[in-house]
Amino acid sequence: MSTLDPRFVAMLEPFLPFAAGEPITEESDLRELGLDSMQAIELMFAVEDTFAVVLPDDALTEHTFATAGSLWQVVSRAMGDSVVTS
Amino acid sequence: MTARPEVTALVERVCAVAAGHVDKTDDLASFPVEALDELRVTGLLGLLVDRAHGGLGGNLRDVLAASIQLGRVDMSLAMIFAMHCQQVAAVVGYAEPKLADELLPEIAAGRVYLASVTTEAGKGGHLLSSETELGVAAGELTIDRFAPIVTGGAVADGFLVTMRSPGARSANQVSLVYAHRDQLEVTASGDWQPMGMRASHSLALRLTGRVPEHQVLGGQGGFRQIALQTFAPLAHLGWSACWLGTATGALSRVLRMLRSPTGRGSADLDSELLLTRLSTARQRVDTVHALLWHTADVVESAPELSVPRVQLLLNALKITAAEQCYQAVEALIDAVGLRHGYLRGSVTGLERAHRDLRSAALNYSNDRLHLADGKLALLDPDVHLV
Repeated sequence: MSTLDPRFVAMLEPFLPFAAGEPITEESDLRELGLDSMQAIELMFAVEDTFAVVLPDDALTEHTFATAGSLWQVVSRAMGDSVVTS
Repeated sequence: MTARPEVTALVERVCAVAAGHVDKTDDLASFPVEALDELRVTGLLGLLVDRAHGGLGGNLRDVLAASIQLGRVDMSLAMIFAMHCQQVAAVVGYAEPKLADELLPEIAAGRVYLASVTTEAGKGGHLLSSETELGVAAGELTIDRFAPIVTGGAVADGFLVTMRSPGARSANQVSLVYAHRDQLEVTASGDWQPMGMRASHSLALRLTGRVPEHQVLGGQGGFRQIALQTFAPLAHLGWSACWLGTATGALSRVLRMLRSPTGRGSADLDSELLLTRLSTARQRVDTVHALLWHTADVVESAPELSVPRVQLLLNALKITAAEQCYQAVEALIDAVGLRHGYLRGSVTGLERAHRDLRSAALNYSNDRLHLADGKLALLDPDVHLV
C-alpha cells in the first residue's frame, strides 16, 4: 500500500523510463525502473524545487536511491528538519 | 608503507622471473606465462584468500604493496595481478558458501587465474549496465556473451562475467557470474598489437556455456553492490598502485644510472635543469603514494563508500595517479635525453614505461570520470573533504 506523497510520485516519474505506467509504490526499485546515477543531481534539483529542502550529502547513499520508499523517507525527514529549524 | 616481509619476499621471486622475460613479452605482445606460473607456485594468486581456504590471508594493503612492487618491473604483469585480486575479492566477499568452498581452495593452490569479463560492445565502458541477458534452462544458467576486450582471456582458468539478470527490465539489473573455463566454450578473436601494456594480452572473447545457479555472486542483480563496495574501489586503488610502481621503478633506474661511476662522468649533476626534473618526478610519485595510502585508509574505515565525498576521492586517486605517473616518466625522458630516454634497450626502461603509462588515462577514461566527478561535486555543495 503506497503512502507516498502524490507530488513525490509525480516528481519521480520522469526519472523512471521502465515504470511503463505501473503504479509507483514504496517498494518500487528505482534502479530497476531506470534511474541512472548520472541523473542524481537532476533528481536532487527536482526534490529541492518540489519540497523546498536540500538533502545533506551524507544522505546521498546507495541505500537512499534504492527504492521510492527509501528516498521518500530521506526527503520527508529533511522536510521535518526544515520545519523544526525554520 | 611496507607490506608484510613474507609477502614482499614472495613477490620478489615473481619480480625476478618477470625481469628475465619482460623484454620478450613486450616485444611479442605475449602474456607473461612464466611470471604467472611463479604467481601460482608462490601462492600469490591466493593472496586475498583466507587461511581456512588455504590462502595467504592477505588484505587490501598487501595487494597494493605487491602491485607497486610488480609495477616496478612490468606494468602489464602488475595489472594482471591487481585485476585478478579484484576478482578474488569479489569471490571472497560475495560467493555463496558452496561456491566459496569449491573455488577459493583452487585459487589458493594456484590453479585458478581469474579474468574479468565486463566489457561489452556498444556500452562504452559503462560498468554497471549490460545488454546481454543470462538465460535460464533446466535449472542452470546459460551464458552467451561477447566481450571486445578481456585481459588474459586466452590463459585464464576462470571468468567473472557481468550479464543482465534473467527477466530484467532495464540494463541496470546486472548479475556477476563465475564460470570455470571447462564450463565454457571460449573463442578468441582479433589481434593484440597495442602501443604499450603489450604483455597484458587482451583479446576479444565469445563465451558460451552453462553454469549452476550457485555460481552467481551476490544474488541475481547483485553486481551493482559488488561494483560499489569491491570492484570499483579495488580497480582504482589497484591500477593506481601499478602505475605508481612503474613510475617509481623508472625513477629508481634513472637515479641509479646517474649515480653510477659512468653516469657521474657523463651527466652534469649540478645542472639546475636536471635537478629540477628529478625533483619534479620525485614530487609526483610522492604525491600519488600519499594519495594512494590515504584512499586505502578511507576505503577501509569509511562506514559508507557510496557517499559523494568517498566516490570523488576514489576517482581523484585514479585520475591523479594516471596523470602524475605518466608525467613523472615524461620528465625523466627529458632529464636523460635521447639515448636513455627514448631508445629501447636502455637500462632506464623509460621507453617502455612511457608507452605503458600512456594507457593509464585511457583505462576507464579520465574524461568519463571527470564527467561523473562534476556531477558528484554538485551533490556536495559544502565540499566535505575526506
